[in-house]
Amino acid sequence: MLKINSLNASVDEGSKPILKGLSLEIPAGEVHAIMGPNGAGKSTLSYVLTGRDGYEVTGGSAALNGDDLLSMEPEERAAAGLFLSFQYPLEIPGVPSMTFLRTALNAQLKARGEDELGAPEFLKKARAIAAQLKIKPDMLRRPLNVGFSGGEKKRMEIFQMMMLEPKCIIMDETDSGLDVDALRIVADGVNALRAQDRSMLIITHYQRLLDYIVPDKVHVLVDGKIVASGDAGFAKKLEAEGYDAYVA
Amino acid sequence: MTLMSRNMPKARDMSEGEMAIGFPLPHRRNEAWKWTDVRAFVPGNAAGISQEANPQFTASEEVKISRGDGHKGEGQMAKLAHYFAGESWNFYVAAGLKSATLDIENIARGHSHIAIMVDKGASLSMVEHHRAGSNSFANIDLQIHIAAGASLTRTIIHDDPADVTRISTACIAMEDDARLEQYTLSFGAGLTRFETRVHGEGENISAVINGTYLIDEKRHCDMTSHIELSAPNAHIRQAVKGVVTGKARGVFQGKFHVLQAAQLTDAEMRHDALMLSDSCEIRSKPELEIYADDVACAHGNTIGQLDEQALFYMRQRGIPVKAARALLTQAFVADVFDDMDDEDLRADILAKITTWLEA
Repeated sequence: MLKINSLNASVDEGSKPILKGLSLEIPAGEVHAIMGPNGAGKSTLSYVLTGRDGYEVTGGSAALNGDDLLSMEPEERAAAGLFLSFQYPLEIPGVPSMTFLRTALNAQLKARGEDELGAPEFLKKARAIAAQLKIKPDMLRRPLNVGFSGGEKKRMEIFQMMMLEPKCIIMDETDSGLDVDALRIVADGVNALRAQDRSMLIITHYQRLLDYIVPDKVHVLVDGKIVASGDAGFAKKLEAEGYDAYVA
Repeated sequence: MTLMSRNMPKARDMSEGEMAIGFPLPHRRNEAWKWTDVRAFVPGNAAGISQEANPQFTASEEVKISRGDGHKGEGQMAKLAHYFAGESWNFYVAAGLKSATLDIENIARGHSHIAIMVDKGASLSMVEHHRAGSNSFANIDLQIHIAAGASLTRTIIHDDPADVTRISTACIAMEDDARLEQYTLSFGAGLTRFETRVHGEGENISAVINGTYLIDEKRHCDMTSHIELSAPNAHIRQAVKGVVTGKARGVFQGKFHVLQAAQLTDAEMRHDALMLSDSCEIRSKPELEIYADDVACAHGNTIGQLDEQALFYMRQRGIPVKAARALLTQAFVADVFDDMDDEDLRADILAKITTWLEA
């Protein structure tokens, strides 16, 4: 379970507060969505949780299954089970997708004190998942995300999730830049990842994605904190009525 | 031969190194050496500074080895090499002989003069291992001739202690249809320069002149090249990549000199470098001097840092920051060696780069 308590965070060396006492609990097995207007702090939340440079935590806590996330390096948070699907996945020139992923997976296993995966087992697992996501083997040999379309990059993010099997997944605007077919493939992948021991947080501008990935709870984030919460139907209401009622 | 020259500085102006050999050394007021000041760097007690070197050779049976009076190079360092090295080492691959190989090892302290002739239609693959003991001075003058239709693959692997001075100068003459592929991997030295001077005298020559330098601490690596083309249809590709950290200094000087007769030249020069620390340094001077009117010549030069966003992305996937940096850096330099035919040698080079990055 992901537990965030009164989280405060700033950018610009502490001079600009973005998160202002954000509290949120996502029990294992649940999918929550966060919606909100531009500038509310949605992407900041994902970066603060994953430990990106340039964000300063000024108060509060965040823990994944009891482990204090905020005291860890980004790679330690990943090994603890935190996965961020980026709004714009980065291109990694010169590093084949498979090399990248095998390095990542084995680094995580090693950090957790588990046995690393040998090349044959890794390949077997990768091929099976690639087939499920309709990813061509050729794509896995190419440098990660280099020259991939928006849809291919998002599919690659899902591929990575399925390979790394994280305990908590944050999806930052996963639907941006996807056509309906790509959206369906991505949503199917995410739905397949729903599990009893996994929490998911979907950050989105639009309700559209939530037609495909039906959340257990929907939260509204305005000016750095959660101001309202509801069930899946709440997202439809927000889409119809806008955020005006929640903006101070 | 006299060592005195009109350029000889007055005794009171000589450096310790110059006193030790009685001969002027290149220094920063010589335009071609402005970033690689041998005079200022070489200590008077450098091992081998006034001795002949003792290189070791392993050659296939196609290579004839002799000692003698090989073709002499130009310039101060070449003169020094000829004076102290005595006779040259001569290597000859007779016309038509294919797949000849030559490994040169122990190019350590002292001066070497090496002359190589690959005769018509022959092919030679040579590997130079440059490595010396602490506080050494090494100066190598290589005179290479690639005859019509012949080909040479030259691979240089260089790894010296941080107080060594090493200057290697290769003059490579190419006749009609000659081919050259050169790959250099250097981890630098206290002061090091790999200079390649190509004289494209024949038509339709092709040359790949690639290299990478990875240097840390206070090391210095200079990759200088001068490609002079005097006949039509030359095809030249040059890609040099640098990775510099600590207080190291990387130098790239590249020049394409295309004479009027060298019409239809197709030449491209690239130098791309990563600066991984605040106090490292890169000096770069790409030059094109073109007198022919129907040519395609280009040069590009970039200096940058590792992409912080890409690093964060990799760390978010669980790759520790050091490994992420190594992976990105390796990817940056590795493509310089993509077209090497010798897969084992290429793998060996990439492994050396990995070891350096993970150290």
